[in-house]
Amino acid sequence: MYVEAPSNLMADDSRLAETELVERCLNGDLGAFEDLYRQHSTRLYNLAFRMVGNAADAEDLLQDIFLTVYRKLESFRGASALGTWLYRLGMNVCLDRLRSKAARQDQATDTLDERLSGAQISGSLAGVSRIDLERAIASLPEGSRAAFLLHDVEGFDHTEVGQLLGVAEGTSKSQVHKARLRIREYLHQPAPKEARPTLVKPAAPATTAAAKQQK
Amino acid sequence: MTCDRFHELVRDWLDGDIDATSRAALEAHAATCDACRAVMTDLRNIHQTASTLERHAPPPRVWARLEQQLAAEPRFREAAARRADSRTRPSPWSWRSPILALAAGLLIMIGGSLYLLHRWTQGPVNTPFVAGGNPTGNNPSNAPGPALVESIDSELQQAAAHYEKAIAGLEQVANASDSPLDPDVMAALHRNLGVIDKAITESRAALVSQPTSRVAQQSLFDAFRRKVALLQDTIALMNELRKGDQAGAARVASGLNKS
Repeated sequence: MYVEAPSNLMADDSRLAETELVERCLNGDLGAFEDLYRQHSTRLYNLAFRMVGNAADAEDLLQDIFLTVYRKLESFRGASALGTWLYRLGMNVCLDRLRSKAARQDQATDTLDERLSGAQISGSLAGVSRIDLERAIASLPEGSRAAFLLHDVEGFDHTEVGQLLGVAEGTSKSQVHKARLRIREYLHQPAPKEARPTLVKPAAPATTAAAKQQK
Repeated sequence: MTCDRFHELVRDWLDGDIDATSRAALEAHAATCDACRAVMTDLRNIHQTASTLERHAPPPRVWARLEQQLAAEPRFREAAARRADSRTRPSPWSWRSPILALAAGLLIMIGGSLYLLHRWTQGPVNTPFVAGGNPTGNNPSNAPGPALVESIDSELQQAAAHYEKAIAGLEQVANASDSPLDPDVMAALHRNLGVIDKAITESRAALVSQPTSRVAQQSLFDAFRRKVALLQDTIALMNELRKGDQAGAARVASGLNKS
């Protein structure tokens, strides 16, 4: 799995390869930076895509993320896996963009104090389609959306999600669970789902499960 | 077990962080409580489906744009120059034609203008977009409106002119080589440029008649952005062809057909 491993468990040769790649990038090796981009851009693009809800903004964000990566690469000390460092940086860029947009539009970004017991929902769903789930994720407040994406979609554990988002592990657990309950509530709503915000799908799909197998 | 306790434990159950005793109690409660059983079933389905969501590769133009931005980063340029000197090899960008480099630079500039326009179109509703010198929004710093639109239009025209020259030059070179440009790709490129230019013209006309229309504002912004994206895809295509990477060129070309 693509997560930060304790330094004593991470293969030395992987860590060495990452350090060398970073060194080559810092030495102005465009090919090395392209390698870095090819290795991590798809995961970060999908994260950005699901955070902002459209392909055009996700492309801008991905570009910003990697430019920021280059500018901050010197500060990468190898204390965590490069992928984790990139994810943390990428998520920060996404959240900064969303908060800046929300501030301009004077929007509340999160309301996590609601009671979400699901007590008013009767019966269970016949099933959960990916497209409905994508719409439900897009409807989440940004905090629980970020936690849900990192945990349930990308497969990080709560300790890692806490590190990536700069929150306590317990907060990650709480955010992810609230996200699941909100999604359930969304999926039980009777209104036509076509009327709700949808994600525009870019080309070339591959499943997260397939991507995980490549790791 | 109470339903409240069930809700506390079902989270740990989903996360796989539950001991055998609690798990047995949870399952026993679910067997007798329809509402809690429904919660358990739904949350498990949501959790399982989430791990199978599709992944999408970013379009090639993102790397093309990033490459250009890196080339403009002073620190990267210096490091690349030092590296080239030490290896007595040409700079990574030396193979580019001056026209293409100029066009790429213009696109970076347009990107900045588009960002301003995007911020502006996200501003207060009912802000006149075309009529008058300045919009009447609450935020004066968000008021570049018509001047910015004119500026982007002008920059786009310059960039497009450079692209036309670069494309024509590339076509000549490619046609004389063993791997000529696919006529269908070039046709798709020209066709898409035509469609986008038409959209820009129509959006501008709509704004003249409805200066406060948020839909018209957004349409113009989207058309500008699509044109920049298409030109950036063209850079990516040219780069792949110059590198002799036919597979990469085919990948970019398939994106052009979807623009």
